Amino acid sequence: MNEQSLMEEMQKALGTKVAEAASAGPRRIFVRVEPGDLFATVKYLRDRFNFTHLSTITGVDRTDAFELLYHLANENCILTVRTRISRTEPVIPSLTPVIPGAVLYEREIQDMFGIKVEGIPDSRPLLWSDDWPEGNYPLRKDWTFERRPENIPGEGQ
Amino acid sequence: MKVTIPIGPQHPALKEPISIRLSIDGEIITGADLRLGYNHRGIEKLAETKNYTQNIYLVERICGICSHSHTTCYVQGVEKLMGLEVPKRGLYIRTLIAELERVHSHLLWLGVAGHEAGFDTFFMYTWRDREVVMDMLEIISGNRVHYAMNTFGGVRRDITDMQKKKMLDLLDLLRKRTAYYLSIGSTEPTFVARITGVGKLPPEKAVSLCAVGPVLRASGIPRDVRKDDPYAAYADVPFDVCTFDTCDVLARVVVRVRELVESYRIIEYLLLNLPAGEISVKAPRKVPAGEVVSRYEAPRGENIHFIKSNDTDKPERLKVRAPTLANYPATLEMLKNSFIADVPLIFAAIDPCICCAERMVELNSRGGAREVVSMSQLRKMADAFYKKAGLKKKAGTWPL
Repeated sequence: MNEQSLMEEMQKALGTKVAEAASAGPRRIFVRVEPGDLFATVKYLRDRFNFTHLSTITGVDRTDAFELLYHLANENCILTVRTRISRTEPVIPSLTPVIPGAVLYEREIQDMFGIKVEGIPDSRPLLWSDDWPEGNYPLRKDWTFERRPENIPGEGQ
Repeated sequence: MKVTIPIGPQHPALKEPISIRLSIDGEIITGADLRLGYNHRGIEKLAETKNYTQNIYLVERICGICSHSHTTCYVQGVEKLMGLEVPKRGLYIRTLIAELERVHSHLLWLGVAGHEAGFDTFFMYTWRDREVVMDMLEIISGNRVHYAMNTFGGVRRDITDMQKKKMLDLLDLLRKRTAYYLSIGSTEPTFVARITGVGKLPPEKAVSLCAVGPVLRASGIPRDVRKDDPYAAYADVPFDVCTFDTCDVLARVVVRVRELVESYRIIEYLLLNLPAGEISVKAPRKVPAGEVVSRYEAPRGENIHFIKSNDTDKPERLKVRAPTLANYPATLEMLKNSFIADVPLIFAAIDPCICCAERMVELNSRGGAREVVSMSQLRKMADAFYKKAGLKKKAGTWPL
């Protein structure tokens, strides 16, 4: 099945849920959906076209909103589902009921962007160290790293 | 009684820092939990502050073993954004390095698997032969670890006929040795007895937990980015995807040894059919706005980079997902209901590369100028430092 026919069938089945679908070169499809339709779209894609493999979730800080890209793969192509959520109240549904392997990527998104993933089976921080200060989300564009003053015994007394 | 034992972050069975917490019932593992972040280096954030060319060298340092896989994945994505057509010869050399890297990574892994299974002779043999492929990489690139071969628009070094001949000779040697390893790996009774039935991962679990690479193929699922989504020169090269269906550590050994044999086939084909012509084309400095998903079959599985450009010389976002991270959920599944004694073997069987999987915490180096200091002087400095430090006085702020 080529990209064109896949997109046509998807748009027919999902209707207005798919806001935008475009093919960017061979074996690459980009689809845009609303956050509320994300779960249903991924479930449909998994059941109908065998997109069982979630390669990863990319978060992008667009300064006015967060963009999340879910890279799904089957044996023919890689389909990226894109969705935008507000920066003030970033909440996204978890995909783990459809794709159990998504859990680590969702935890990574939580740590790096401060996005709340609703319904995630395991919401502990994945990558932070124990003394990581609250409210620091490194991959947000407005986050800059400030080195904490080092406390070395014997120096600067 | 429920007992939890920690393995790592520092542990003799692990080569890199990661923390696994096992709930056990006697000798049997009932649950496993993972803690990451001990090796996070902030590479994704750092990449946003460096220009595209600098980032080639940055992503090369994500991993010390599959360094070429990260640069190729990154470079081919940026080339797509730039709209560059890479000359055939450049693509062939790029693919050649990729396959040599796979050979050296799989030989390394075979040795580690032998070592974890208590078969150190196997470890000595494979690591001796790994030197042969390291030499081959050095013949082409001048380097053993970070080959620095990729650049936008092609590769940086050409191959001469002399080098080609020498490589083909060395390839013959590797072929003979690998045939021997396949016979050991699949028939040597003590080794086979140790790895059969250990770390079971049923195919449906492997798919639902999004496992990648040899781990997925060892559960009988023929997924390989080189076949599914051909990049570089793979569309021209004949090769088979290797699978095995016992779903245990034995299968992972067999799949990797078979992949070695396939890699030799690919390397030979590439060397014999190397097209004439240029190895690279000139690339622009700025990259037009756009976004691209680039995939690559690294020795450990699917490696994916997402690059978003914004019409400047620096990327807006570079997302890297190395194969080891994708295999963690599957590893936790394998650990369930196995014995504690199998943990190193199961964990080694995914060929974990922890520094690959983690990219995001701060470096604590204090920086500054370097200078050469003699050993005796260094000792004097250390004495003076500790005298000045007054550790007892400051015990509260410096608990160690």
